Amino acid sequence: MRNKRRDLIVYFLKGSVRFFALSIGFAMLASFFDLLSPRVVGWAVDSFLAGDDRAVRSALTVAAVAGAGAIFRYLYRLFNSMGAEKLVERMRNRLFEHIERLKFSWYSENQTGDIIQRCTSDVETVKSFLSDQLTSVFRIVIMILIAMGFMISINWKLAIVAAVFIPAIFLYSLFFHGRIGSTFQEADEEEGTLSTITQENLTGVRVVRAFGRERYERRRFEHQNDIYTAAYLKLSILISAFWSMGDFFAGAQVMAVVAVGAYLAVKGQITAGDYIAFISYNSMLSWPVRSLGRVISDMSKAGVSVDRIGYIMNSKEEEDPDRAIRPAMDRDIAFSHVSFRYGPDMPKILDDVSFTIPAGKTVGILGGTGSGKSTLMYLLDRLYDIGEGSGSITIGGVDIRDIPRDYLRDHIGMVLQEPFLFSRSLSENIGIAADDAGQPAIERAAGIASLSETVRHFRHGYDTMVGERGMTLSGGQKQRTAIAQMVIRDTPIMIFDDSLSAVDAETDARIRVELNRCMGNATIVLISHRITTLMAADEIVVLNHGRVTETGTHEELLKKQGLYARICGIQGIAAETKKGGDSK
Amino acid sequence: MTNTESKHLKWFGLPAIAQYLRPYRRQTTVMILLGILSSVCDTIYPLFNRYALNHFITLGTLDTLGMFLATYIGILLAQVAANFISSYLIGKVELDVGRDLKNASFNHLQTLSFSYFNTHNVGYIHARVMSDTDRIATTISWRVMDIVWNVSYIVFVFAVMLAVNVYLALWLLLLIPIAAVLVIFFQRHLVVLKRKVREINATISGDFNEGITGAKTIRTLVVGDRIQKDFETDTSHMRRTAVHSTHWSALFTASVTLMASIALSVVLWKGGKMTVQRLMEIGTLSVFMSYALAMMEPVQYVIEAVSALIDVQVNIERFKGLMDSESDVVDTKEVIEQYGDAFHPRKENWEALKGDVEFRDVSFRYPDGEEMVLEHFNLKIPHGTNVAIVGETGAGKSTLVNLVCRFYEPTKGQVLIDGRDVRERSQLWLHSRIGYVLQTPHLFSGSVRENLRYGKPDATDEEIMAALKLVSAEEAVERMGHGLDSDVGEGGDLLSTGEKQLLSFARAILADPAILILDEATSSIDTMTEKKIQDAIGVMIKGRTSFMIAHRLSTVVDADLIIAVVDGRIVEMGKHEELMARRSYYYRLFTRQYEEAATAGELT
Repeated sequence: MRNKRRDLIVYFLKGSVRFFALSIGFAMLASFFDLLSPRVVGWAVDSFLAGDDRAVRSALTVAAVAGAGAIFRYLYRLFNSMGAEKLVERMRNRLFEHIERLKFSWYSENQTGDIIQRCTSDVETVKSFLSDQLTSVFRIVIMILIAMGFMISINWKLAIVAAVFIPAIFLYSLFFHGRIGSTFQEADEEEGTLSTITQENLTGVRVVRAFGRERYERRRFEHQNDIYTAAYLKLSILISAFWSMGDFFAGAQVMAVVAVGAYLAVKGQITAGDYIAFISYNSMLSWPVRSLGRVISDMSKAGVSVDRIGYIMNSKEEEDPDRAIRPAMDRDIAFSHVSFRYGPDMPKILDDVSFTIPAGKTVGILGGTGSGKSTLMYLLDRLYDIGEGSGSITIGGVDIRDIPRDYLRDHIGMVLQEPFLFSRSLSENIGIAADDAGQPAIERAAGIASLSETVRHFRHGYDTMVGERGMTLSGGQKQRTAIAQMVIRDTPIMIFDDSLSAVDAETDARIRVELNRCMGNATIVLISHRITTLMAADEIVVLNHGRVTETGTHEELLKKQGLYARICGIQGIAAETKKGGDSK
Repeated sequence: MTNTESKHLKWFGLPAIAQYLRPYRRQTTVMILLGILSSVCDTIYPLFNRYALNHFITLGTLDTLGMFLATYIGILLAQVAANFISSYLIGKVELDVGRDLKNASFNHLQTLSFSYFNTHNVGYIHARVMSDTDRIATTISWRVMDIVWNVSYIVFVFAVMLAVNVYLALWLLLLIPIAAVLVIFFQRHLVVLKRKVREINATISGDFNEGITGAKTIRTLVVGDRIQKDFETDTSHMRRTAVHSTHWSALFTASVTLMASIALSVVLWKGGKMTVQRLMEIGTLSVFMSYALAMMEPVQYVIEAVSALIDVQVNIERFKGLMDSESDVVDTKEVIEQYGDAFHPRKENWEALKGDVEFRDVSFRYPDGEEMVLEHFNLKIPHGTNVAIVGETGAGKSTLVNLVCRFYEPTKGQVLIDGRDVRERSQLWLHSRIGYVLQTPHLFSGSVRENLRYGKPDATDEEIMAALKLVSAEEAVERMGHGLDSDVGEGGDLLSTGEKQLLSFARAILADPAILILDEATSSIDTMTEKKIQDAIGVMIKGRTSFMIAHRLSTVVDADLIIAVVDGRIVEMGKHEELMARRSYYYRLFTRQYEEAATAGELT
């Protein structure tokens, strides 16, 4: 476990180590100069008392030392930030890249919100652990050592008086931050509950109003609000107590040093300048020692975050075989005895499915929800792989498991039932998979997908932003955009997975005519439960409960008087005529 | 954006929320006085050094050491006590004000009409209640105290300095405006950069979201490389902006410490000369050195606090915006007098409700809409009638229901319940008599019992069980392990959609409403549950006036009246047989739905 964590951190630190090394060097220099200043002041005071007028020189020296300190402190923070940001950039890039290559099943096993949390706030936690907390501890320890060095050089007895307080203040701070941590967690949970009550009240506003329960909601909210406020007040009192006690300890330390220092000065063991310098050192140490406790108690959180990121990085990527073959893709596609289930405990989705999609032909697949028709296409595109001994899919006789995924997918165009649009402009979305597509090609593809007319009504035309951060398109508009997206790629195999379900029958027909005209040579698979979509196909496969029950052309299947014919009857399609079922 | 938005608020917008601060003015006064006391103590500490240097060290005697230590401890304890009490009070005022703001906004939301909820999304409103209130409370408590502490510290420091040595004090006073200008300059730069960093951060989270939710598309289109490249552009932009921001903030701190060192140099230079000439005692020089080093950071804190107060005006404005929003649907004074308001019902004056509904010459336009969706609409619905409203998704099927429930009021005309205008009686009276079942069943986190009692607050367990039985949900509740005490999870997440639906039916039945509104679910549920839900609906609507926004054919067929809606307008009305015979819109809609349902039935 520990080694795994370390390996992962070392992997991410590649490229940023030198920045951190430099920043630590600068931090040491900064601390040294910062701590030199009191010594210079002490010497100056002694010279003043001796009647030696070195005022201007001392002033300039102090300014110069402080200037050097400031410059090094600036450099320390700049390089630290360069290292930290480099580290974050690398972590994010590698995480993103890895996520894009993970086995497809991984996405359904993990929640999006949780993954994003890992990629954002856990990354921040690890960053602040490495760039902030770790360097802080290092810096504070160095500072204490240098300061102690100066203090001992002034007077070791006084140094001991100052030093005994350090471990006490540190341990006290460490203990308290542990306590605060658990109280904070309680308060945070109460806040979560209050937030949920608000959320539910807002999303359920209709229920609240319709049942007339405003009074109840008010009582519920105010009650939890009181609990929440009390929890935070407890935390606030704890923190107040901690700070006040900390102030007391630090004040007592200063007082002890002032008293003992004065005593030593009276006894002639230290000079007035030494006394002033020593008091400065002592006060400079009090803050860092107190913050050390906080930093160390925060550090324990980082381990968990590293593991959470490690979970993503250690998940398996899609792998391609060594014996990769890149066959011609405009060949027959053959499904042979394909059986599939999504997991060992899951029901069988496909059961001994065999049929052939001849090159250059159009095949329709008729199937209901859960019949496995989409799964068939996911298998063809290798989003999931068929297990050993559960049949095979071949293209021109080559098993697709021997074809590299990118090559395979490059030659298969697929329009999903619920298409996803990127947060980019409409034309970028259409051309996203064709690097060199110019505007004419994009508009042509949009034309084939019957999208031109719609785009004309958008105020920004093809530059309209869509996706999460843009305009919301209707289901049909999305589907047509996805069709344009596929058309522009001009792939030898095209799959329409129920992808005309949200467009009306007329547009559906128009798109199919256009496709036939422009994509004459492509092998096309149409998946639908709408007979009018499928009836013109060269061959129709009827899939029921994961099994192929009928195959043939529209006419052949009608003659069989089986399931297909029954559905034609339901949808009002007779053998000879085809009637538009709906108009709106 | 933050600054331009808020320029017109006076006194940082504090008067706008004065009413929420007034109850705490006594605590606030104490906390400010104690804060000033603490600053006085901080100013005094260097004077002990002065005494030690001038008295003990210069004179070489320890004669008053006991007195010295006793005073020191006294001051120290006084400060510790002052700090503890004042920070306790700050925390208390912060949390109390935050609580009051939250209560006020939440309670106001309970009275706002639906047009508010339709034009503001849940995330936005949620942030108003939860985060704006917190930010306002935190800023006005802690930041105002920051100003008290640091301004009083600077004032006392200069008072002491001026008392001890006017000449040197004036030299240091000269540095304060320079430091202030410097801090303001950096502060401005940093605000812009920090906002930029936040924006890019949000973009990157969005990228991750897209990379995960769009994974299937990214793979099928083989655009992984391109997406990765664009992502790396964003992360590298983030790195450069963040480093740039640190560059400025590091320069900022460096210059503040440098200013402090310059102040120290000035003291050494001017004060050193005086010390050598015996015009100044060594202890006094030490006091000036301590003050010189300590007076620059307070300048920074004051300016940061002021800038935080400027920033929080946006939050105050949003909060005020919520509190100033008015409901479109308000009960008149007379109605409230007789029936009570949302929080104080006067149930003794409430009449029973039978369930006759009438639309009389109703014209209606949504407050945020442009077109009239109803014009001179007349319809009488006698009690016990089952009305089904059909149409495509997004066709505006809810309009009639919204009017019956008085979620909206007609633009012209009247809606009558039992022969009287809905506006003549209170909203709560009406809502207490209406049952409402949502398309996406909404449960509250808590137990089954708590959720069902939403329908009837004083329902006994027997009544609850009976209601569950009516909708055949008792088995599902049994299965949950703790019966009525079983937790349903956040938003009912521990239940399946079908189970949630059944529980929401039981909740509506418990309310025993005279009018029942049903927004049927579109999502597909397994056949078993589907059957149960069908039966439950049949049980529920029997003997009640019901309005059903219908997606299922069977419920539509049996309805006493079917209303078909297209683009928000009513196109057809009548019984199933009549409408089918007309072979128009309803006929087409029904045929297509029937085909789809039958096809699905054949195939699975």
